Parts: sequence; C-alpha cells; structure tokens
Amino acid sequence: MKGIVFVKFNEFIDELCGDEFWDELLDEAKLPSEGIYTTVGTYDDQEFFSLIGLVVDKKNISAKDAQFAFGKWVFKELYEMASARAHDFKDVFEFLHGVQDFIHVEVKKLNPDSLLPEFEFLSETSNHLSFHYQSPRKLCFFCEGLVHGLAEHTGQQITVSQSECEHEGGQRCVLEIEKL
Amino acid sequence: MSKSIETQTVDLPTGEIKSVEQLNKRIEVLERKSAREKKARNLAEDQLERYSLEIYQTNQSLKNALVFSTKKKSELEYLGKASIGVASELPLNEMIGNMVELTCQYCSAEYGFYFVTENGVGVDGKLDKAWSKDNGWLGNSELQKLVNSNLPLNEPDVLESWLVSSVCDLKSQPLKRFGWIFYMNFALSDGKIGWLAFLSKMDQVDEDIFPVLATARDHLISGIRRRLTDVRILKRNIQLQDSVNSLENAKRQLIQSEKMASLGQLAAGIAHEINNPMAFIRSNMEVLKEYLQDYKSLHDKLKSELEIHKNLDLSYFNTLSKKVDLGYIEEDSADLLISNIEGLNRVRDIVENLKSFSHTGDVKLVQVSLNQCVDAALQITGNVFKYEHQVENQLTDLCPLVLGNLGQLQQVFVNLFINAAYAMEGGGILNISHTEDNQRVIIHVRDNGSGMNEETIGKLFTPFFTTKPVGVGTGLGLSVSYAILEAHDAQVTVNTEIGSGTTFNLSFPVSI
Repeated sequence: MKGIVFVKFNEFIDELCGDEFWDELLDEAKLPSEGIYTTVGTYDDQEFFSLIGLVVDKKNISAKDAQFAFGKWVFKELYEMASARAHDFKDVFEFLHGVQDFIHVEVKKLNPDSLLPEFEFLSETSNHLSFHYQSPRKLCFFCEGLVHGLAEHTGQQITVSQSECEHEGGQRCVLEIEKL
Repeated sequence: MSKSIETQTVDLPTGEIKSVEQLNKRIEVLERKSAREKKARNLAEDQLERYSLEIYQTNQSLKNALVFSTKKKSELEYLGKASIGVASELPLNEMIGNMVELTCQYCSAEYGFYFVTENGVGVDGKLDKAWSKDNGWLGNSELQKLVNSNLPLNEPDVLESWLVSSVCDLKSQPLKRFGWIFYMNFALSDGKIGWLAFLSKMDQVDEDIFPVLATARDHLISGIRRRLTDVRILKRNIQLQDSVNSLENAKRQLIQSEKMASLGQLAAGIAHEINNPMAFIRSNMEVLKEYLQDYKSLHDKLKSELEIHKNLDLSYFNTLSKKVDLGYIEEDSADLLISNIEGLNRVRDIVENLKSFSHTGDVKLVQVSLNQCVDAALQITGNVFKYEHQVENQLTDLCPLVLGNLGQLQQVFVNLFINAAYAMEGGGILNISHTEDNQRVIIHVRDNGSGMNEETIGKLFTPFFTTKPVGVGTGLGLSVSYAILEAHDAQVTVNTEIGSGTTFNLSFPVSI
C-alpha cells in the first residue's frame, strides 16, 4: 500500500485522537516499518489493517465504522493532491466515472506498481448509480466513506449502501449510490 | 454509520501542569514522533536521491536509445534505398552510381567513385568522376588518380569484403587531406571488375558501419549477378528461339520432302491415270477428225450441186447423207464429245488434287471436310488400288468438319493408303469409315492385309523405319504423319493382327 495512505491515516488519527494515541498504536502494533511513513514509500498492507484493528479495539467501534470515517476524512486530502483535471468534476456520478477513466490512469503514471480498485458500473439513472467495487484489499467501507466525502465536496445529498457485500456473505461488493 | 471515532482531547501542557510524570510522558511521545519524522525525512530524501538517480539513468538510457535508434533508422534507410535501387530496372551503371551516392551519404564520406577496370585499366563506369554531396558527379581526374594509386587494381581476384586503409598520396606518403579510403569490388562480365571507393576526411572510421556496408555489398553483388544472369538468359532465349524457328523450318521442309517422296512413289500410277483418258481422248479426236472430213466432203458435194442446179434435191441429199452415214456420225460425235469431256474432267481432278497435295501453303488451320480430304487422297492413290484392290469409302457429307490443313491431312491419308496397299499385296479391301464420340470424329482406315508384328508397331512412328524394300519407302511417312496429326490435336491408335489386317483410328476434335 502506498505511503500516502499511512501518512494520511497518521494525520487522521492525530487530528481526531491526538498524537499520543498514534504513538500508543505504534507502540502496540510493533510494525516492521516502526511507523516511519513517507508518501513516496510503499508498505505492507497488513500494517494498515493492524493499525485499523487497534483503533477498532481501543475505540470500541466496528472496522466498518473506522474505514468509513477514514475514507470520508481522507477524500478532501486526496482531492487536494489530485491533478487539476480531477477538479473539473462537479457531480458525484461523473467523478466516480472519472476515477476509473482518468484519476486512476494518472495515479498509475506516477506509481506503475500501485494496486488500485476497479469499478464495474452496473446501472445508472439520473439519481442512482450502481457499481461493483473490486479490490483484493476488500476496503469497500473505506470506499463508501470516500463517496460520502466526495458528496460533501460537491454539495450533493446522497445515500450509500451495499446491495451485496463480501463481508456480509455476498459474492462481491456492489455499492448503490442514491441522490436525494 | 453507527458510530464514529470520538475526538480525543490531547492533554497538552497548555494549562495547569498536572504532573512531572505526565510531562515526561508527553516529552517522550514528542521525542518519538520527532525521531520518526526525522527518519521519515531521511527515508524520503534517500528515496528522492534514488529517484533522481533513476531519472538520470533513464534519461541517459533514453539518450542512448535515441542515438541508437537514429543510427538504426539511418542504417535501415540506407539499406532500404539500396535494396530498392538494386531491385530497380535502372541500367547497371546508373544503378551502381545511385549506390555510390547512397553509400557516400550514409558513411559521411567526402567523395564516392565507381569505375570498371579490365586488366587493371579503367574502361567504364563513372571514370574520372567523383561524387560529392554538394556537387554530385563531377569530373576529377586528379582524385581518380589518387584513388587508383590506393587500390589493388591489378589483382585479378575480386575482394571478399570491404577493405579500409589510410590514404597515401601518389608517392605512397600518408596524405593528411583525407583520412581513410574504403573500397570493394565485384566481378562483371567478360573479366571486367567494378570498383566502389570512398574517400573520408574523418580522423577515425566508425567500425559500426562495416556490417551495414557488408549487407549492402551482398545486396549489390546479388543484384548485379541477377542482372548479368538475366542478360545471359535473354541471350540463351534468343538462341533457343532461333533454334525453334530453324527446327520449325526444317520440319516444314521435311514434311514437304516426304510429300514429294510419296508423290514420287505414286508418279507412275498418276501418269497412268492421266494417260488413260488422254489415250481415249486422242483416239476419240482421231475419229472426230475423220467425221469432220466426212462432213467436209458432204459439204463440198452439196455446194457444187447448188452451184450447178441452183437448188437441192432432197432425194440427192438423202443419198449423200446415207453414203457418209451422217446419222451415225452425229450420234457418235455426241458420245465422243461427252467421253472426251469426262476424260478431261478426270485429268483436271487429278491435277487439282496433285496441286493441293503438293502445295506447301501455310499451316493455318481452317474448317475442312475429312470426306473431301479422303476423296482427294483416294484420287491421287487411285491407280494403286485400281486393279487388285477394292476401295470401300463409307464417308459421306455427314462426317463432321474439323479444323485442319487440307494439304497436310491429304498427305496423312495418302501415306496410310499407300501403306495399306503395300500391306495388301495381291489384293484386298480398303475400308474407310467414321464414328463420333464426345465431340471427336474418328476416321477408321482398315485394310485386310498382312498386319504388323510387335516390333513394327513399336517403331511405327519412328523416323526412317520402314518395312518396304530399299528405295521404295523413305521411312518418314508415318513419323511425318504423326507430327501433322499432333499439330491438329488428333490422336492415333492402331489395331492390328498378323494375317488379318490393320486399322488406323484417327481421332480429331470436331470444329464447332
């Protein structure tokens, strides 16, 4: 997993829980990297899942909530870093199409070895969009949070749900976005 | 979302200091954070350096790749243009001249040369001329002399590859004006040798060009060989065509000679055929001459009677008429004249058939009637069968027309009939009939003569093979006939049985 995710997760925890909590997490997690993250590095996925797991334990929340919260928070951070072209999108649905068609393409240019999720769009109307979230990391809740963060940015009211979810016995994860 | 992460208040020592322990703990946290950030910065800087190095190396490798690909592009362009030139239909000297221009540009040489030597002396090519990028081909005998002095012009064997050496002046002293000369040569026809040479001002020779030049040399030499081979093949073709024409001519002469030989065999019989009617015509004419005398005597008597009596007595006329037998004379004269006309018609037919038989003519095929052809051949050979043989010609006008040459086909049938008569010594029946099968008409010429043994059948169409006594047959009749039939797309089969006879079956395609 790219270092930007770890750096932003550090910032997220610092902002919400303080740097002592982050220090505590690192102390307990005994990570191979010792928590020394840079945006230009790449780290084992498992470090992220270990840190999330500790947050879940310590804050007594579900992994789903933890991922969702981080996803929603991190959207604006990633958005600021994205190229100017990504700023042209003014609609949630348009942006989600752009993620697949443009933003991930740009990411790949800078990080050819990055493992990015793929969206398979299943159906779309003016108010509803359904897509299949495919990633071996299975961070569908993080994705839900990102979509919410996106909607906050565009100023649109939406609901995000999953009609199928691998974490709940489904064969795949299908996200349903509804504009309100 | 069921529950969010609660914001935690950090116990910063902004207000009241709770305890030294808390402060120490805070300091430790900040120290660890600072240490992590310092390490992270170092890691990032290391990474940045690696990236910089990678970028530099990538840039270098891209530059190298660009230089390499530019070089390869130039090599490919040179080889491509050289191949196109070699494969072109340009005259040889022009093609090689173009090759000099391309090679000179590819090697960045100052001057290029192409000339042909014979026993070490320049005889052809762009002699006393040098090609340069700025001026093209320009006369320059001084440079030619310089090049000549640097090349092994008197070596009789051609070089196996390009050679390169430093340029020496006419006194074999190193010349600073030019750095290098590289050259190759190749064999041309008639012991001549073509030379390509290039003068370069460069201090060092780029060795990478030589594999490319070697490829271009191979192309050029194979192209020159192909052209020389083409010229040889063209000459050989002309010779072959001349031979074919001579053979065709000889074949025509052979056919005509054989025809005349057949005619020779038939000459006595034909003369007899002509003599017969001539004899009775002559005899008839003698009689008619006497009848004319009788008429003249009657006329004289009637004239004198009229002069004396001024009139003619019928009883006197009847008496005179009876005396010269005028009634018989009139009746017999008519018969004699009819007989003469018939006789003359027979002679005319024979002469006409002889004329068509002996006529050389061209070999153009036109629609002909095999029935008429067989009739004419029978007329010529009529005397052969007249006394001891019986001819059963069953052909009629219903026999389909074929594409053929009347004279030549007549010659075939004359040959077959003469052979049949020879096989039926002492008498027999010659039968000619036809059948039709799948757009072909088959003429069957059957005799009930001696038949042929296997040896004769095997050599039937062999030139100069004959079963006739020396001086009777040429041995060319059937071989010539076979050649004629082949030219008519006709097929021949033979059925024969010793003692029973022979049947020749000639199958012609029907003319539609």
